[in-house]
This record gives sequence, structure tokens and C-alpha cells, in this order.
Amino acid sequence: MSFIQSLIDGILIGGVYGIIATGLSLVFGVLGLVNFAHAEFLMVGMYVAWFAWHYLGLDPILAAPLSFAVVFLLGYAVQRHLLDRVMKASPTAQIFLTVGLLIVLENAALVIFGSGFRSVNVPYQVESFRLAGLFVSAPYLYAFGATLVVNLALWLFLERSWIGRGIRAVAQDPMAAILSGVDSKRTYRIAFGLGVGLTAFGGGVILPYITVSPTVGGQFVVLMFTVVVLGGLGSILGALAGGLAVGIIQSFSALFFPISLQNLVLFIIFIGVLAFRPQGLLKGA
Amino acid sequence: MYALKASKLNIIAGILATFLLVCIHPAFGADNEVTIGIVQPLSGPNAQFGINAMHGSELVAETINAQGGIKSLGGARIKLVVADVPTPNTAAAATQRLISQNKVVGIVGTFVSSTTLGVSEVTERAGVPIVTFAFADQITERGYRYVFQVSPKGTAFGQAQLKYAIELGKAGGEAIDKIAILYEDTAYGTAQAKGLREAAVEAGIKVVVDEAYPLGITDVSSLVNKVRTSEAKIVFPVSYLNDSLLIIRTMRQQQMDIPVIGGAAGYIIPDFRKGLGDLAQNVLSVASSNHDLYPDLASRFKDKYGSFMTHEALMHAASLAVLAKAVEKAGSKDPEKVRDALASTDDCDGFARCVPGGCVRFNEAGLNTRAFPIMVQWQGEEPVTVYPKEVARAAAVWHAKSGR
Repeated sequence: MSFIQSLIDGILIGGVYGIIATGLSLVFGVLGLVNFAHAEFLMVGMYVAWFAWHYLGLDPILAAPLSFAVVFLLGYAVQRHLLDRVMKASPTAQIFLTVGLLIVLENAALVIFGSGFRSVNVPYQVESFRLAGLFVSAPYLYAFGATLVVNLALWLFLERSWIGRGIRAVAQDPMAAILSGVDSKRTYRIAFGLGVGLTAFGGGVILPYITVSPTVGGQFVVLMFTVVVLGGLGSILGALAGGLAVGIIQSFSALFFPISLQNLVLFIIFIGVLAFRPQGLLKGA
Repeated sequence: MYALKASKLNIIAGILATFLLVCIHPAFGADNEVTIGIVQPLSGPNAQFGINAMHGSELVAETINAQGGIKSLGGARIKLVVADVPTPNTAAAATQRLISQNKVVGIVGTFVSSTTLGVSEVTERAGVPIVTFAFADQITERGYRYVFQVSPKGTAFGQAQLKYAIELGKAGGEAIDKIAILYEDTAYGTAQAKGLREAAVEAGIKVVVDEAYPLGITDVSSLVNKVRTSEAKIVFPVSYLNDSLLIIRTMRQQQMDIPVIGGAAGYIIPDFRKGLGDLAQNVLSVASSNHDLYPDLASRFKDKYGSFMTHEALMHAASLAVLAKAVEKAGSKDPEKVRDALASTDDCDGFARCVPGGCVRFNEAGLNTRAFPIMVQWQGEEPVTVYPKEVARAAAVWHAKSGR
């Protein structure tokens, strides 16, 4: 029984890890850029949703698209004014810039929002659905549902729209894409905005069960990179699979080991994957 | 356009004025000031607690200054120098700076046990007294001469958390035989959990869940699953804010309504109520002090800073007051003499009322032997002291079913 319960919890949590990490994977896959500041955009998304809840009375899950929109614009501007300059520079310069961005965003949030924790207050936060002795947490389920919808939308966008095709083309071969008339700079900006926006969307949907503070990014950054590498860097479906895997591993490890070891178990499996399948679980499969 | 320029001018004028104030101020009273160092985390995840604590000390310093300062030093004013120490590894450098550059007579802070351990190593070497509220057991167990702790030890909090709960349960007609302990794996959580565990063994109570979890945990459903299937009668979580909200909400999701008895920290701050709303109602927690023990000071605090005076604010108010009194008694700015005056503190009036029992007297190790933990319960908008009887302001509501 507790086995199935853990599986349910793991899948629901993992789906959300998936959407948060998909953004990071997209940025890496298209721009070839390791964005260390990525988790900070999650924090910004959480604040946007919190303010929408506090001042407009919007449910955080419904406010998540707003988080996406705001952070998309922010990401577009960051790419346009900052990252564009280092796209052809050495990886060291890129790392310095994104780490600097991380520090600036975190401390700007401290100055603007203060260091306090902010939490939303919605009725379904303490509800769950009962299925034959099993509990399905309502906030987890809603968050999971929202991420499924967004994943589907993302897939349709990348497969069907011209911009989406452009993004995929640039990811495959930037030079060939430019020769075929794709505006690569604009594509980079959209892809970066989309990447951080998706993560911000994830920030909105987790707000019913996670408290936001300026340092919340730190709780997710390592997890995010683990998910992406586990799934295969740059692979969007891989990020989703990686997210589910991490959620389930964490949940199961708590069945057999003390919970303080849940990340130890995760990283042992992670190292194993790196050793035997360095390309990730799904990539090239 | 004009409006914009005017406002810019205002800002510049403001900055200049601030500069002038800063420049002029020390020149006025440099001879007649007593400099005291405040070490608190004012940024980072613990900042909210650090700011509360700093406000507590500030309020006391202002009051003493308004009443004529340190009289034995010709009415010297207390000047606080604040150092932001967000993490333990920044503690040593900040403390060194306070001692060598600001020439502080003593240091007050902090509630973060691991940071205080670092700070007190530096003060011990330099021979400067530190008055702290942190309560990990090691703080006063290292044989240090210059450490003074106004609160009881961490294990004492753990023991009280359990002992008070048993007595409250008995009064509410419930015998407690199985309990669950959940704690974050920091110096504070570990020390308090140890106290809980020992007290449980002593009382013959079975600990059916005993789990540490990492600070910054984002999902506690597996933890709560364990508690639910263990049939524990009470949960004792020792945690800061985010995890405390997670634990309570997840318990309600799984339709558990057994009493929750928090281990101070996250359970007794305004944000707990803000985050949980009515679910906070009737949640119990152990605490080092509570605002209703000293209503005059607490209402001044509330008027000034906007929220009720938290226990870390009260205890750091007491810490600063004890240090200021020692300076008064020593009649000197020499840290060594202040230390000796601190060691002979036996004070039962004034700001000592911030501490439950209302008295401060340090033993050989620097531990305040007169202080004891209390139990508070969320009743309405604020926590109310409900145990022990001699300090209780209201009766405890057992059969908690918090928020239901």
C-alpha cells in the first residue's frame, strides 16, 4: 500500500520537476548555454504568482500563465541585452555572466521583496482525494495536471508553429538554419524567454505547496541540473522523463532509508547513470 | 519632466543629508558612547528571525538611552554596531571586525546555534563577552569563560516540549503512549530532538517515528505517510517556517488531526499564522518566551515594528539589557571587567522580565539557571502562553484538531 502511495506521490512531484527542468534543457539544447541563473527565474515566477494571488485574488495555478508571460519578457530582454554579447564568447565568459545574473537576481529580490517567506492561502491546499485508502494530494494533482497541459502546448508549438520549427532548426544546426532564412538572434531570444518562462510557470503551480523567498532557487538548482542531465542534456522529452525519475527515486528512497538520505540515494543513481549512460536516459535511445 | 527632476533632487539631497548625519554623529558623542556589537543574520534564509532579534535589542538600547544612558559612565549612550552574518562561515570574520575595528565592549547574538559557536570562538580568544540566545548544548559545554546564555539548553527545550505535552494531554483527558519526532538536521534540530527522545525514554513513551530531514526540504508527503501509518498520538516537529507549513498542510491533506506540538522557531512567528490562516489555530509550540509575559514592552514593539514581539526579539532584548546592566555595574568599558560583572549577574527586574520567570543568574558555564521553557498555543491572531501554570495567560485547548 505504502509502495503505491509513494509511487503516486513520486509521479505527481516528478511531473513538476519535469516542467521546471524542461526550460533549462531547452535553453541548453538551443543556445548551448549552461544557465546557472535558471532557478532564479523560478523564484521570479513564484513572486509574480504570489502577487497575482495577493492583489488580484487569482489562484496561483491560474496565475502561472501570467508568471510565464512576465518571465518570458524578462528572459527575452536578458537575452537581447546581455546574453547576445557572449553567445560566441568562451564558455567561461558565459558561466561568469549567468552566475553573476544569479547573484543579481537573488539580491535584487532580497532588496525589493525583503527576506520573509510568503505563502498563498487557498482552500485545496489541505485537501486530498481518497482512493481506496490512498491519498492523492490536491495541490500536487492540480500542479501535475497544469504541467501536462503546458508540456502538450510546448510540444505542439515546437512541432507545428514556424517559430517552433525555427527553434528546432537552430538547435540542430545554427549555420544551416541561418542559410535557410531563420533569424537566429530572434530565435535565441524567443527560446531563452520560453525556457525561463516554462520554469516560471512551474514556479506558479508549485506555490500552493512551496513557500516563496528570495533564496528559494537554491533549493531547486541542483535538482534541476540533475533532472536535465539524467534525461539527457537538451532533450525536452528527456527532461520530463528525468523529472519523473527523480520524483519517484526520492519518494521510494524514503520508504527504505531515512528521509535525510533521499538526495544521497538520488545522487548515487545519478552517478551510476553518468558512468554507464552519459548521454542520459532518453537521448539517443 | 519638472516633477521628475524635483524628485531626483530630493533623493540627492536625502543622500547628502544622510551622509552628513553619519559624519557628524560620531563626532558628537564619541567620548561618551558604549559600543556593543550585534551579530545577526540579516540576509539569507534566516533573515526574518534576525531582523526581529535585532529590533528587540534596538528597542532596549533606545529605552536605556532615553532614560539617561549608562549612569556609572556619566550617562554614556549605547551605540549598536550591527554585523550581518547570514551563514556560520562568515561569523568569525565579522566578529573579528567588531572587536578590532569597533572596539565593542561585548557582543549580543545570535539565535542560530551554529553561527554562535563560530562567533564565541573568536570572542573567547579576544576576551570579549558574548550574550546569546542560541541554545545548542555545546555553546555552554565547552568551558568558555566569556559566553553567557540567557535561555535554557536545547535538550531542556526538547524535554519541556514532551513533558509539558504529557501534562497538557493528561489535563485534556488523553494518555500519550506513542509519539513521532520530525526534525531538521541542524545543530538546533538535532539538540532539541535529543532532548525529546531522552524525555520520552524516561517517561516510558514509545517513539514510533524519529526522522531527521534536510533543511530546505520541498516535499514531506513520505514523512507524513510514515507518521500516519505509525499511529502516533502526537507529532513533535522541530523546524523553521517553510517546513512547518509543509508538515501541517500535508497532515491536513491526509486527514490527520492529532495534536502538533512545534519546537519553537517557525511555529511561533507571525508568518506561521499568515501562511496557514485558520489552520494555525490551536497549534501548540514550546517557546523560550512570549510577548504576553511582558505586555508593556511588547505593545511598544508592536507599535514600532508592526507585528507581535516574537520570542527571539524578547530574548535578544533581554540579552542586550543584561549586557548593558553589566557595563553599568562595572562602570567601565573594559571587556574583562564587563565579563566579571556579567558572571555575577543576579537580576530580577527591568528587562529581565523578557525571560520566563523574570530572572537572570548565570552559573559557572554561563547558562541562565533561572530561565525555563514555556508552552504557547495559537489562539486567535497571536500565540498565548498556556504552560507552566505560574506564567500561563490562558488555558490550553487540548483535542487540538487545529483549525477544524
